[in-house]
Parts: sequence; structure tokens; C-alpha cells
Amino acid sequence: MKRVVQWWTEERRAYLLLVLPAVAVYWAVMAFPTVFSFILSLTNYNGGPIFGNSNIQLVGFRHYLRMFNDQYFWISLKNNGLIMAVSVFGQIPLGFLFAYVIHRKLVKFGDFFQTIVYLPCVISTIIVGRLWQSFFSPYGPFTEFMQKIQPGWENELFYDPKMAIVPVLFVILWMYTGTYMIMFLANLQKIDPALIEAARIDGATEWQVLLRIMLPSLSGVIVTACILAISGSLKSFDLLYAMTGGNPARRTSVLSLYMWDNAFRHAPNYPLANAISVFMVLVSFILILLVRFTEAKFGGRED
Amino acid sequence: MLRKSTLLLLVLLLVASVFVPATLAEEPIKITVLNYFDLTAPGAEREINEVWYEFSVRNPHIIVEREDLFLEPFHQKTEAYAAADKLPDVVFMWPGGRSTSLHTLGLVKDLRPLLGDDAKYYQEAVLAPQAGGYLAELPQTMTSSHALYVNVPLLESLGLSVPETYEELVAMVPVLKANGLDTILMGAQDDWVIQSCLFSMIVGRLVGDEKLYEILRGEAKFTDPEFVGALEFYAQLYEDGVLNRKIMQTSYAEVNGLFATGRAPFLVDGDWKVSNFLTDLTTGEALIPVDKQPEFKMTIFPAIPGEINKASSSGVVGVGFGMNAKIPAGSAKEAAAWELIKWLQGPEVQKMRLETAGTIPSRIDVTSDNIEPLVVERIRYYEDILVTTEVLDNAFEGEVYTPINIGLQEIGLGFATPMEVAQRTQEAFDAWFARQ
Repeated sequence: MKRVVQWWTEERRAYLLLVLPAVAVYWAVMAFPTVFSFILSLTNYNGGPIFGNSNIQLVGFRHYLRMFNDQYFWISLKNNGLIMAVSVFGQIPLGFLFAYVIHRKLVKFGDFFQTIVYLPCVISTIIVGRLWQSFFSPYGPFTEFMQKIQPGWENELFYDPKMAIVPVLFVILWMYTGTYMIMFLANLQKIDPALIEAARIDGATEWQVLLRIMLPSLSGVIVTACILAISGSLKSFDLLYAMTGGNPARRTSVLSLYMWDNAFRHAPNYPLANAISVFMVLVSFILILLVRFTEAKFGGRED
Repeated sequence: MLRKSTLLLLVLLLVASVFVPATLAEEPIKITVLNYFDLTAPGAEREINEVWYEFSVRNPHIIVEREDLFLEPFHQKTEAYAAADKLPDVVFMWPGGRSTSLHTLGLVKDLRPLLGDDAKYYQEAVLAPQAGGYLAELPQTMTSSHALYVNVPLLESLGLSVPETYEELVAMVPVLKANGLDTILMGAQDDWVIQSCLFSMIVGRLVGDEKLYEILRGEAKFTDPEFVGALEFYAQLYEDGVLNRKIMQTSYAEVNGLFATGRAPFLVDGDWKVSNFLTDLTTGEALIPVDKQPEFKMTIFPAIPGEINKASSSGVVGVGFGMNAKIPAGSAKEAAAWELIKWLQGPEVQKMRLETAGTIPSRIDVTSDNIEPLVVERIRYYEDILVTTEVLDNAFEGEVYTPINIGLQEIGLGFATPMEVAQRTQEAFDAWFARQ
């Protein structure tokens, strides 16, 4: 009895009071759906009531096998990889570069450029997708522009399976770089200017200031940006849905679109769709752990 | 005493005036509706006012909660509702195809008993049993999923005329190309378009429904020479320059403006596309103005070498509204839902649809003298069709026609051969067939 009383301290009660609501919400909207999705991926569920449905049976990893044997899965995975590469090695370095140039006042009208780079982020993704779809259309401005330069030029961007995703990658780079720029800009402003001034007085070049002061100070932010970029890349859906719908012939599909296709387009296959979503969660975990590992090994020199 | 009784009477009357109307009045009945609706179509405003608003005025005791969706989002939401077992009370449906699961899983009611004597107002063909073997939706129209729209003045300006045979069509290609024009436009970025609006017609011409039904019964295969031959003819369309790969980069909405502005003399689409060219009452403008509409012709694809069905087009008995099977029989809710479905296929609404979209009425008592020339042309167009054959996505389950949809784009892009697509389709069919 005495032990129970000791365990149920005011501090513990306060702790539980603060933590339990967040844990409950997290479990309800994140953990439970993930676990439930995994269970559904092992069944033959094909619509209708889930609970109390005697027709639902466990079928093992059949849907995972089907997924790995489907060429459109690999096309989608490859496209996700390309989007991730553009996000991590394109958006983040570019975002940092813009932020650095503006913060260090290496260009005039910094506020203007900041607005210009960030502007795409405030436009609805669906509208952006539609606009760029029209732009890259074989009858659109891009084609006309190219035909002015090279008469008779045929817009075959989407016909080559290796090139079909390129316009999409360009739009992703254009659209989301501003987010990272703002993130880096906010953190650059937190670095003590006296530190940079002292380095300059000691004879450090701009390049040395960047490498020795700025980048180490931002390693935590870079890791956060990488995690956001990776998770954002894996869940990218809306822009592609509006711009290409994953077509032609699913050559611009990504895992989320591939999952959507299997869940809701033409021939619903909910267990397969759940298997795809479980795979996406696993890939996210692995990649984020990889980033964490990299940061622990090579980063973290803020001190 | 008299005063007291008068006072009592007055009090009673006062109480009655407050409570009786409330108890006698009908309880409002809420009906949820999933509606297929193109809000950008020129006739959209008339539909909102003359169909939905008018129904609420005439039936104040029925509260309609409507959800409007169009194209893929509609189908995807329907599947999501069906999967979650939360289908709306009244739902827009196809007689098969994308709505097959609603029919075969019995998620909607058989409307024939509710229709009763009113059946005499409908053309007999539209009341035939649908994919589930019963009348799951009350059709509002007949639909041809294939039509060849022709810009006649554009053709004539180049010394050409509407082709009667495929060879004549192929002979036009160099002339059109020399003038910077495409031959046939299609908004085929979405993969259903080629299958529904072009390839189903080709299959009807070269394969025929009998063979399709044999495949459906497992007595023939997609890999048989007839079906592969249809795929090979489709592939030839690209080799001959009749189709350009650009169609797969052209969105379904973008193609309307391209055709109206003369980027090609031909457009292949369903007969429903007419509604996108008509006058928008809110702006008074039309993609093809009324005075120009007589210059546009609707016909069918020219004769294909080796065709077994002459002058055929693919089509289905039309779309309509069905009722959730969960609504209790004989309930007030069933009566309200049926009232709405009857209204949606009633003479006033079908007349409005005829005027705004040229929709061929399924009722025999609907006519109008207020229709634009393209609507007249859509009605006349049916005279060109001698045989109506199946639309593939109406005849087969999604699992089976999806490889065809994707495969047609792959053939066009050179990623797959006709035989490869036929084999993949057969594999999908075998898997589906094994579960039946």
C-alpha cells in the first residue's frame, strides 16, 4: 500500500496528465492506423465491414510478393528515389545557398528575392500542378518557346521513360526550395554576428566563415531539413496527381500514387494498398535512421 | 360559467395552434446524394437551379445533402464509400463498368418494383437488367462512348472531306502535317480515355461482342488472334500518323479548347463531350459559338479493314441514380429517395439535360424546341450507328480492364507490344476468373 502511494506522486500525476493526451492522440492517428494497416495487408479484405466480417482471412505476405513482382511498383519506387535525391541534394543546398546569400547581404533587394523564392509555397499545390501541366503540354508555352528556337521541335518530354519524370522534378525543386530557404534563414539569424565579425577580423575568408562557422552551427537544422525532405518525398502525391496523374502509362507514378491506384482506381485491392503503405513507412524509418546516424557521426559541431 | 368555458376554449385553441401544426407537419427527411457533376460545364448553373433547387422547392420536407464530384475523384470516392459500407442514400451510377461492385455486391436496390406502372414512360431497352442482373439505376440516357467530331470547314479549307474508310483517313495525314495540324485530338492523359472512347469501338468492329462474351465465360482468350489483331490495329494508328503520342500528354479538359480552335480536324471522345462546346448561360459564351456549330459534324470512325461489324460504335445504356440497399423497404426514407430519383429522371429534368448537353432522353415523353445545333447533331449522330457494341470497362471488372488501359498507353509510347498487353490482360482475367 505504501509502495503504491509512493508511486502515485504528484510529480508522476503531473507527468501523466501532460503526456497521456499526446500519447493517446498519437496512438489514435499514427500508431494504431500503422499497425492496423499492417494487419490488413496480411488479409484478403476486399471492402465492406471490417469488424465481424467472417470472410476476412489471413493470407500471409502474398500482397507483398505481388507488390515486389509488379513493374509499376519499381517504377514508382525509382521515381520516389529521384524525388528524394532532388529534395535532399537539390532543395536543401539551394535553399541554404539562397538563405546564405540573402543573410550575408551578398545581393541587393534581399527581401524581394526572399519573397520570389518563397512564393510558390503559398500557392495551392493543385493549382501549381495544373499550371505546370499546361506549361509542359505539347500545345503549351514551353513547346511554343522551344519551337521558336528550333522550328519543328516536338515536345517528347513525357514519352521517354527516363525523361518523363524530369519536368516533375523541376517543378518540385521550384516549389519547395523556398521552404528550406526560410528555415535556414531563420536559423542563420540566430548565429551571433559577433562570432562572424571576429572571424573576419582574424582574417577568415567568406568561404571559411561558411565552412567553419555557418555550416557547423546549422548541422541540426540540416538534419531536420533532410528528415522533412525524405518524408515529404515519400508522401508526395498532390502535385503529381494534378500534373500527370502518374501517367503516361504510370511512368511518373510514385509510391503514394501507386497505393492510391490500387486502393481506389479501377480495381480496388485494399490489402495490396495497405502493403504499399506499410512499405512506405518502413522505408521512411530506415532513411530517417540513416540520416540520424550520419548526423551523429559527421555533424553536431555546434558547440 | 359561460365566460369560463369560453376562456377555456380560447386557451385550448391557443395551445392547439402552437402544438398541432408541429406534430402534424411532416418530419424533414434527410437524403444524402453522391452526384456526378462537371461544375465547369456550360449547363452547370441550370442543373443547380432547375434540378436541385427546384426539387427542394417542390419537396420542402426532403432535405438533400449533395456531394458533387467529377471524373476520377467521383469513382474513387464511390469505391471508398462502398469499401467503408457507407454508401449515400442516392448515388449516381453506371449500368456496369466503374459501378460494377455496387451492382454485384447488391449495395443498391432493385428499382423495378418501385418503378411500377411508370415503366411505360421509358424506352424498353433502358430498363433491361444491369451488371447485377437487376435494375440498379434508372437510366437517364443512352451513351455512345465513341464519337468522331469533325471540323468540316477546316477539312474543306485543305481540300479534304469526311473520310469514309481508314485508307482515306491515312491519306489525309501528310496533308494535315504539312499544314502544321494534327489528325486526331484526344485528351488521353487519363488512361481510361483511349480504352473507352477509341479502343472499345475498335474491338467492337474487329472482335465483336460474341467473342468478348466467350472471353468472359472463359471459352476464349485475350491472346486469341482477334483481340491481338485489334491491339495491332490500334498500334498501327500511331505508325500511320493518325494518332500522335501527344494525346497522352493532353489533359481531358485541355482538348476541348484545342479542338474548338482548330488544332486538328478530328476529335475522338464520347458523345457527352458535346456539352463542353455549348453556350454557358452564365457568360453567354460557347467554345463553339451557336452560329459556328452547324459547321461541326459528329460521326463514327471510318470503316476499318477486316471489320466484322460495319458502322458500329461502343456504347452503354446510360447512367442514372440508384438507391442504397440499406434503406428499409416501405420507409419514409425510401419514399423520399424514390421521389428524388423519379424527379431526376422525370420529364422536366430530362428536357433540361437535352437542352444543355444534348443528352438523349431515356423517356419517351421528352422533346424540346430549344436546343443548340450541336445537340441536334448529337441526336442525328445516332443515325450513323448501325450496331452498338460493348465498352470494355462496362463488360469487364476493373481488375481485368486496368491492364488494357495502361497497356494502350504503353503501346502508343512503344513500351509494350500488342501481344504483351494481351498476355497481361489474360493473366489478370485468369486471376479474376479463378475467384468466381
